[in-house]
Amino acid sequence: MKQRLAHAGVLTTILAICLCLFPTKAYAYLDPGAGSSILQLLIASLLGTLYAAKLHWTRIKSLLGKRRSTSVPTKTIN
Amino acid sequence: MTESTATVLKHAAVGGSSDRPLPSSFRDPSGFLFVRDGILYRQVNRSYQRHYDLLQGSGLYNELISRGLLIPHEEVPLDSDSQVAYKTLKPEVVPFVSYPYEWSFSQLQDAALATLQVQKLALQFGMSLKDTSAYNIQFKAGKPVLIDTLSLEGLVEGAPWVAYRQFCQHFLGPLALMGCVDARLGQLLRVHIDGVPVDLTSRLLSWRKYSSFSLLLHLHLHALAQRRFNARANPTGLRRLSRSGLFGLIDNLETAVRRLRWEPQQINWVRYYEHERCQAAAFQEKSRIVADWLDKMVPAVQSIWDFGANTGHFSRLASQRGIFTVSIDADAACVEMNYKECGRQGETRLLPLLLDLTNPSAAKGWQNRERMSLLERGPADLAFALAIVHHLAISNNLPFRKIAEFFSGCCKRLMIEFIPKTDLQVQRMLDTRVDIFGEYTQQAFEHEFSQVFSLRERAPITGSGRTLYLMEKVT
Repeated sequence: MKQRLAHAGVLTTILAICLCLFPTKAYAYLDPGAGSSILQLLIASLLGTLYAAKLHWTRIKSLLGKRRSTSVPTKTIN
Repeated sequence: MTESTATVLKHAAVGGSSDRPLPSSFRDPSGFLFVRDGILYRQVNRSYQRHYDLLQGSGLYNELISRGLLIPHEEVPLDSDSQVAYKTLKPEVVPFVSYPYEWSFSQLQDAALATLQVQKLALQFGMSLKDTSAYNIQFKAGKPVLIDTLSLEGLVEGAPWVAYRQFCQHFLGPLALMGCVDARLGQLLRVHIDGVPVDLTSRLLSWRKYSSFSLLLHLHLHALAQRRFNARANPTGLRRLSRSGLFGLIDNLETAVRRLRWEPQQINWVRYYEHERCQAAAFQEKSRIVADWLDKMVPAVQSIWDFGANTGHFSRLASQRGIFTVSIDADAACVEMNYKECGRQGETRLLPLLLDLTNPSAAKGWQNRERMSLLERGPADLAFALAIVHHLAISNNLPFRKIAEFFSGCCKRLMIEFIPKTDLQVQRMLDTRVDIFGEYTQQAFEHEFSQVFSLRERAPITGSGRTLYLMEKVT
């Protein structure tokens, strides 16, 4: 487990060094925290992709659900 | 005048003269809250004009109001410094101001989810929350609602979410600690007024929880990133966070919050009620007497604080009669169960809160004025002190005089139960200790309370040896 964390730390460091090469500015009344901002930039692509996949999966499920509900004969109440 | 308006007024008086910002309203340059002629207002400064117009013009305000996520307000014409002031708003007032360290796990979780719902909607309308302080959420009619209208600002495309760290400190971290380690760790919010630092949360969380992907990202990796990069300049100017990335971040936080669970294990106090209910006849008679006295007081009594409320049986006798009731208990399991019952029943006039009567919330924050003490939020029209005096007097060694003083400082009327030494509950307390409570008699109880209260009603509870009293504070 510790090893996994260490790997994550190395990856974070490499990406963050790349990011820190650029000029920086903050305008918020709250200090967002440089570490917190860098982390967001690092994980955003991954989370964005997961979110898109989740949305697609939800659509597929709802489509399948609709097809199933139309193909299954419904009970009639006499 | 509602109780909360009185509370706000009192708070304003502590902070200075009318029209001055409330003592808790000073951090955000976008505007501030103030009181004039007994009415609470919010000034919107010109620096916030663009964002306020966007909030109204985009339709986000109406959307949030229709979903019950934002406190409604009306714009009012008021003489203000036109150089600084853009608008004056008259917001709706919540019935009781409570704080995150007084909430149970599920209350904090619902507040977190409400905050994320606001943020998701805001993003759809081209806006974003610029802060996610848990203190910006209050409970109105049983639901969490954002009370700081000025927290919303125009979205800066590509910029990281400025309130991300604060969300992790105020909501995700405390919830993870309460759910994964111990519910009592929620009390860290009393010490850390801007939320539990992420590195502290990360250290306190069990190693097993590293296997949770969301907690790994938002707490452990977050702590690591802070440790490595917080001394650097802020990289928000890079503007690299895509809209989909931002949606992904919020969605992942929502999943993390939803997945956290706390099932109360300590059920001693929950069992206390069950024990009382074993003496069904006495319990029913007590309920009947309380209900009868309440019926006589309904128009005059608008607010009740129920101390030692357990899971809220007697609080509900009051709230079902339309009286707003704060249901206070020191046991997190009881408060959690009480809040969940409120949700199941759709109760709107009951607010369960986690508070220890022997150490109630103190005034906190800058100049001790940002967050009010419990007593500053009173007095309540009526307080319940049912089956609690023996705990205060014997378990906490409090003389009757001190107990009477406390209640006279927080309520106008008092419904209190005296439990004699012969009672099984008191006997159990004395089983494990030397009886040094020679003064614990009904006569001494009546004598000390009569120094600050006048007796209105007295009703023995048949078959229990207990007595219920209704008292009114001596003015």
